[in-house]
Amino acid sequence: MYLWLVAAGLSLIFGVMRVLNFAHGSLYMLGAYFAWVVVRVTGSFWLALLIGPAVVAGVGWAMEFGFLRRVYSAPEAFQLLLTFAFVLMFDDAVKLVFGPVYQSPPTPAALSGAFVLGRSILPTYHLFILCVGALVGLGLWFFLEKTSFGLVIRATAADREMARALGVRSSRLFTWVFILGAALAGLGGALSMPVRAISPGMGEFIIIEAFVVVVLGGLGSLRGAFVGALLIGLLHAYGLLFMPVFELALGYLAMAAVLIVRPWGLFGARES
Amino acid sequence: MAPRRGTTRRRFLQSTALAAAGLALPRTGFAASPDLKLKKPIKIGCQCILSGPLGGYGEFMRKGATLAMEEVNGQGGIGGSPIELNFRDEELKVDVGVKNARYFVEDWGADFLVGIDSSGVAMAVGEIMPSLNKVLIVTHGATEKYNEDLVFKRHIRQCFRVCVPVYQDGIASALVAKDLPVKRWATISPDYEYGHTSWKMFRAYLKRFKPDVEFVGESFAKFGTVDFSSHISKVMGLNPEGIFSTEWGGEAVTMVKQAKLFKVFENTKAFMIGMGSAMDVLQGLGADYPDGTWASGRYYFGYPDSPENKKFVEAFRKRWNSYPSYPSETSYTAIHALKKAVEKAKSIETEKVIEALEGLELDRPAGKCVIRKEDHQAVYAVPWGQIKHDPKFPMPILTNLKVFTTDEYYRKPPFAPVEG
Repeated sequence: MYLWLVAAGLSLIFGVMRVLNFAHGSLYMLGAYFAWVVVRVTGSFWLALLIGPAVVAGVGWAMEFGFLRRVYSAPEAFQLLLTFAFVLMFDDAVKLVFGPVYQSPPTPAALSGAFVLGRSILPTYHLFILCVGALVGLGLWFFLEKTSFGLVIRATAADREMARALGVRSSRLFTWVFILGAALAGLGGALSMPVRAISPGMGEFIIIEAFVVVVLGGLGSLRGAFVGALLIGLLHAYGLLFMPVFELALGYLAMAAVLIVRPWGLFGARES
Repeated sequence: MAPRRGTTRRRFLQSTALAAAGLALPRTGFAASPDLKLKKPIKIGCQCILSGPLGGYGEFMRKGATLAMEEVNGQGGIGGSPIELNFRDEELKVDVGVKNARYFVEDWGADFLVGIDSSGVAMAVGEIMPSLNKVLIVTHGATEKYNEDLVFKRHIRQCFRVCVPVYQDGIASALVAKDLPVKRWATISPDYEYGHTSWKMFRAYLKRFKPDVEFVGESFAKFGTVDFSSHISKVMGLNPEGIFSTEWGGEAVTMVKQAKLFKVFENTKAFMIGMGSAMDVLQGLGADYPDGTWASGRYYFGYPDSPENKKFVEAFRKRWNSYPSYPSETSYTAIHALKKAVEKAKSIETEKVIEALEGLELDRPAGKCVIRKEDHQAVYAVPWGQIKHDPKFPMPILTNLKVFTTDEYYRKPPFAPVEG
């Protein structure tokens, strides 16, 4: 589900803006760190879930407004270079400010229980994450399908030139989409904070998985990101049970298989 | 504006500053070291993991080595030459480690090499030491193949190690486990050399000590795992009574947190983590570290109760405002061992320093230690203990320490193969 949140933001940004945001994993990391600071200061996990992603959204705004919008017209390699530069800067900034030692606040007491079903155990925290993920999914769906702003986003994603011709101010729209995507990554990070050690560089691991998910599901498709994240999760779990030697490769094999059959991904739009 | 001459100038200033610091400080009552008349600093190339989720280890290593350097230079350096350290990130990658070693010796002009966290990197760098022909002192990488195969069987004499090898994780742990009320063991461990070799050793030796034990399952997690749910479910589905793990660093923190969510600590009788007493794990888990978890490392700051250890812990806390972790002790010891060996050899020539290091006795913070001649392995004992929360300390500590003599758990030449 963390993967879904990160992948959703990544896919959204790519779908609308055609920017592959390498720094998306770093935004996830920043979400975790900011949330951790809030926990340290206020002691409240719930407040951290709100403030962490909000601050990351602010960072997203600065990234888009200050830097990214200057390279929209440049070749894609420049965008990649720019976002990759952010990865390096964020990693080092975090190391400088927080040190390289892992941090992790205790799991909130209300969520540290577990449901026991026969011999299998479902931790309350996992259930909580499932609910948050589903809620975010529903919220996004409602926002994109049922609101006028969502309509504009979908229109721009479908045909940028036409949307612009119809009077959509794409620069403002891009800023908002980037902020939303950043907040999603930040939320993923904030949610992971109590159950995963936070450390500089933690974003680099998730960004690769998120790319696999997004490519598997279809670039730009939120439904694809959701299904892709589920698929990768299941593959890892069952892969470990039945063929642990191949576990590492399974995700990539699945991606390759899907790309051979459907080069545009499971739910992606076929390029004309 | 003065012309910029980049790194050469900066490096020059750095080394003169170091030299000046070494000369300016009073030479206290230490045995006068013979003047080697090198007219240059002694350069030590250090590599360790400085990035990513395990980067805390390298940071502790850097602090230990730096403290030792400051002490040695404060005493006038080695034979009149100050020490100069250079740190590089090994990234736990074999190719990066080898490249670093080559850079240190061939480009930077290192006289000695110190460090290395990964067993795989230690083996790869060990392999090329004959061609570089400098002394390498490993401070963390723990595979027994380093001392048993590279040094003892293949006579790569440049390789030394000052930390306990996997004997601590795989044999001392079995000595603890044989007295626990657990018959069914399973593991969640890292999917590389260290994880596999320690689990293999644990099984072989525990079977010897307690023939009726069973090993019901294993799940090996790849480097960089952040979600251990599948591993935990898989292993717990086999209904083990005890979990043995050699996860370390941030991955140990994450694994324990998630095991707690899955109620593993309620549903098993024992949980053992070979590197669970490393300071970064103690600090990272904090209040979430379950009481009673068995943990060890390559050194624990609370053992032994000796003046050397007290002095080290105090100096470390004063310098870095933190308790030392085990890579701090091993790297601190490596630098001091080099000083002692060079002074004994009265030379920095590799062959002479090797001879001086063989059989060298050290009063290190972790206790009395001998560098075994046959396999160049430092022999000293480190305790296992159980996690306890004590309000006197800013992190959980170890209690109920179990210390075994090195005779009980160090493998000895000619190193019969581990069966199992």
